[in-house]
Amino acid sequence: MLHPQEILSTLDMLRHEHLDVRTVTLGINLFDCARRDPERACTAIRQKIREKARNLVSVCDEVGDKYGIPVVNKRIAVSPIAAAAASLDAAGMLRVAHTLDEAAEASRVDFIGGFSALVEKGIASGDQALMDALPRALAETERVCASVNVASTRAGINVDAVLRMAAIIKDAAALTAAADGLACAKLCVFANIPQDVPFMAGAYLGIGEPDAVINVGVSGPGVVKSAIERALAADPGLDLGRISELIKHTAYKVTRVGELIGREVAERLGIRFGVVDLSLAPTPNVGDSVGEIFQSLGLVSIGVPGSTAALALLNDAVKKGGAFASCNVGGLSGAFIPVSEDLNISEAAQRGDLGLEKLEAMTSVCSVGLDMVALPGDTSVETLAGIIADEMAIGVINKKTTACRLIPVPGKAAGDYAHFGGLLGESVILPVNHGAGPNAFIRRGGLIPAPIQSLVN
Amino acid sequence: MNKAIISILGQDRPGIIAAVSDLIFRQDGNIENVSQTILQSEFSGIFIVSLPEALDLDRLRSVLQEGLDPLGQHVIVRPVRTDAPVYSPSQNREPFVITTRGPDRKGLVARITGVIARFGVNVTNLQAIFKGGAAPGDNVMIYEVDIPATVDQKILRRALRAEAEALDLEISIQHRHIFEALNRI
Repeated sequence: MLHPQEILSTLDMLRHEHLDVRTVTLGINLFDCARRDPERACTAIRQKIREKARNLVSVCDEVGDKYGIPVVNKRIAVSPIAAAAASLDAAGMLRVAHTLDEAAEASRVDFIGGFSALVEKGIASGDQALMDALPRALAETERVCASVNVASTRAGINVDAVLRMAAIIKDAAALTAAADGLACAKLCVFANIPQDVPFMAGAYLGIGEPDAVINVGVSGPGVVKSAIERALAADPGLDLGRISELIKHTAYKVTRVGELIGREVAERLGIRFGVVDLSLAPTPNVGDSVGEIFQSLGLVSIGVPGSTAALALLNDAVKKGGAFASCNVGGLSGAFIPVSEDLNISEAAQRGDLGLEKLEAMTSVCSVGLDMVALPGDTSVETLAGIIADEMAIGVINKKTTACRLIPVPGKAAGDYAHFGGLLGESVILPVNHGAGPNAFIRRGGLIPAPIQSLVN
Repeated sequence: MNKAIISILGQDRPGIIAAVSDLIFRQDGNIENVSQTILQSEFSGIFIVSLPEALDLDRLRSVLQEGLDPLGQHVIVRPVRTDAPVYSPSQNREPFVITTRGPDRKGLVARITGVIARFGVNVTNLQAIFKGGAAPGDNVMIYEVDIPATVDQKILRRALRAEAEALDLEISIQHRHIFEALNRI
């Protein structure tokens, strides 16, 4: 027999606190689709995705109905195209991007990730072709997401690749100037990219993964916020240790939902279950915000002094609760702070409570990085590269994932507003210190060697 | 050995279960199952007991009633049938939880269970709280049900949603495992 409170609290999480499964992402290995001829490669890719993803959306909806938990997004992640289609040139890569876009639409998924390259130690010919194709691939497709790993703790930072990515970001923004540089919202530059991220734009299927796998991204910032507020209303004297414990319990519950849904979807599709990514992923809706959690914890706004400590507490408690709830944890697992995608964070930036430098500091203790940050359109390639290199350094030295999803908004300046629409949200454009100037340090290029932390054998 | 089911009803107070179990013990009876609850201020207990062959159930009832009169309890005793049961649940069924919330009015339980019964779905547990008024959270019905595999769940869901809409109720129909996964280790 269930206790009424078990049922009613669950229903409250669903109805009022945005509890859901944020994404079920089907990973598909495309290495067996490698062909020298682009047309034949695209045909093989199209067929493989159609075959594996045919029932993804309908099965997710059926399982969601059964448990009364919506699976908000269904997505596909494929092998890194720079490796899977390494023999193609840039024109061939562009055709692959269009094929992925069509295959995603045919499978009724909103995004397909994996137009990706791993270049932390060097750029191979397939990587070069993919990077050359990137600006147009992002601008001309709707659903294709791209990621490029330019650094790792074991390899160091490929500054040549960082510079190249900064130029690609500028080009992609210019090609979508009328949409405030929207193409850049589908591109992540990573250090230590995980192989099993279900969340976009960074999702791809790693080389060590099986032929097909189901990874699940849970969310639940609204559930965490409500739990904190309920507990503080009952006992205003709660200290941070007890609040951390409370967040841990809440993360446990949220993770269990993802695990249950993910395993059943995988079983029905006859595909292996991979991981639950325990991330607090916000949307631009009130009550579904990571920024609001900071205010529940007692800070005036995300970005004020104390914010990094609060985020460290939050990120750690989420991991601890989630790790107990599921033995298959992976992906990014932590808290996201995407500026435009979180209404509360976007408002903090607008008020001036949160700037680029504080965001960067906070990324040293959260799971992602400088995410969905709108910058002035005249930010130079070298400055963008400098920002990316700084973020990569945080990841490399701290043995963690960091990423940049930066949008230099064409024709707009700091203080203007950028609108990306839908889940991507909107944001004030943040000022950049010495934004348009040169940067001789970055222009030196080469590899920043792997840190001493890499010598673990 | 005979089996009997004993139901005790009355205002709640300390000592009821002690008195009942002592009276059964004195008749050489053995308690096999007990379910007891308190609704508002009322006590309700159901006991299944095994009894000596020689013990007459009318005699048991009068002993219990006599012993429980000072506690203000009403007693019902019935034999438990050991022949083929009237309803035997099919092996292939899934546990679901149907929850409704909405403004209080007469006939809510009757209308919702009417739909459930029409589909041959068995209610295994029902908890309902009606504080009255229009606040949805004040009036909640929770039905734990076993849905046979032969029932078309889409049609059942549609029928339940239609009935709930007619009654101005929010309804959710969820597999029981979601509540266990969330709340239990």
